[in-house]
Amino acid sequence: MTNKSEANAGLYKDTLLAGLWRENPVFRLLLGMCPTLAVTAAVKPALTMGLCVIFVLLCSNIVVSLMRNLLKPHLRILMFTLTIATFVTIADLFLKAFQPEMSEVLGPYVPLIIVNCIIICRAEACASKNPLVVSIIDALGMGAGFTVTLCVLAGVRELLSTGKIFEAQVMPDWFVPWAAMSMPVGAFITLGLLLGLVNAVSKKLATKAQRKEK
Amino acid sequence: MIKIKHFIQQSWLLIVASFCFGLLIAVANAALSERIEQNRIDKLNRLTRALLPEAENFIALDTEIEIESTRRGKKEKVKVYKAVSEDECVGWSFNVAGSGFADKIELVIAVDKDFQKLAGFDILASNETPGFGDQIKYDYFRDQFKGAPAEELALVKTGEGNPRKIDSEIVAITGATVSSEAVIEIINNSITQIKNQMQDKRLIGNDK
Repeated sequence: MTNKSEANAGLYKDTLLAGLWRENPVFRLLLGMCPTLAVTAAVKPALTMGLCVIFVLLCSNIVVSLMRNLLKPHLRILMFTLTIATFVTIADLFLKAFQPEMSEVLGPYVPLIIVNCIIICRAEACASKNPLVVSIIDALGMGAGFTVTLCVLAGVRELLSTGKIFEAQVMPDWFVPWAAMSMPVGAFITLGLLLGLVNAVSKKLATKAQRKEK
Repeated sequence: MIKIKHFIQQSWLLIVASFCFGLLIAVANAALSERIEQNRIDKLNRLTRALLPEAENFIALDTEIEIESTRRGKKEKVKVYKAVSEDECVGWSFNVAGSGFADKIELVIAVDKDFQKLAGFDILASNETPGFGDQIKYDYFRDQFKGAPAEELALVKTGEGNPRKIDSEIVAITGATVSSEAVIEIINNSITQIKNQMQDKRLIGNDK
């Protein structure tokens, strides 16, 4: 009994951490690039986007996991999309009602969560094959991984394009804002450099681990 | 008969789920739609109030005003609001849209009660290039419109006109910025058409 629960705890921890680093949706799986590039001009919209994705991912993983034994293989994608679309619409309505400013900034990118690959990928790869608890933890891990990544990207871009972070001035007076960083070109460059950095770090970690094994 | 049975067997979950999800969205919409509409009205009121500070209330006009849009010659309905203070008209405001550099620009434009002078404009929605085109939001550009005559406005390059002088000449952000041109185009296109129609409908005095 203890062995089983210990194994379970290990599995839960593994699932949670996978989303944050090993299988980080943006840096390692390269999924959901559209919002990653489009809404990361400032930290606030990026955080809002991340929270919306966590909500949708959590709800869709729960629903898909609950009905995983009833799914007909050839109709499963249809069911996933239906589930995701429902929760995205609800999230969109909530944003419009309680965060109208953010809703305006994010514009079409909230409804576009429906076609965000991360959510469909998690429904297909995890929720439709795993029990409820694992699916919930997976959703939280992946969602958190996505949100943190978006915020890092947005932090770099907001800092360089306005000298502010979370709308608070941090750069000294002499700093000249780089307007290009808030435009698409800034998104591509920042994402490229961060991807390179993450690859370099993970390579280094891998060689270290190999050496340890030897 | 067998076909129908097969169909139901395969898709019952989809049908049930569609029904449940539809219900869920309907409930969320019913609970939130009022608030969403209120947010939209609040934003409009806030922007218009900044342009017409003496106004106490805004009343949407029942009369239909239509303008021809610049690009496709399509007719578009324009919402016109009457700004009132102690039952007296103090100005008019209306929402118009036109194409900008990257996306549609939606403006709220305010004029005085006789439709003689602009009280200014503000931006309801736009997606202009940050740092360049989005300077149409900045005061230095918008202040040129406060008090400008409500007629055809002309755009002049920087250095040729004085941005502080209030007249029908508007100094562009730069000679090559599409966004400042777009704003002038939207205002020019709408203002005379709306003015003429309101004169025809005897909502404002005829100045001819």
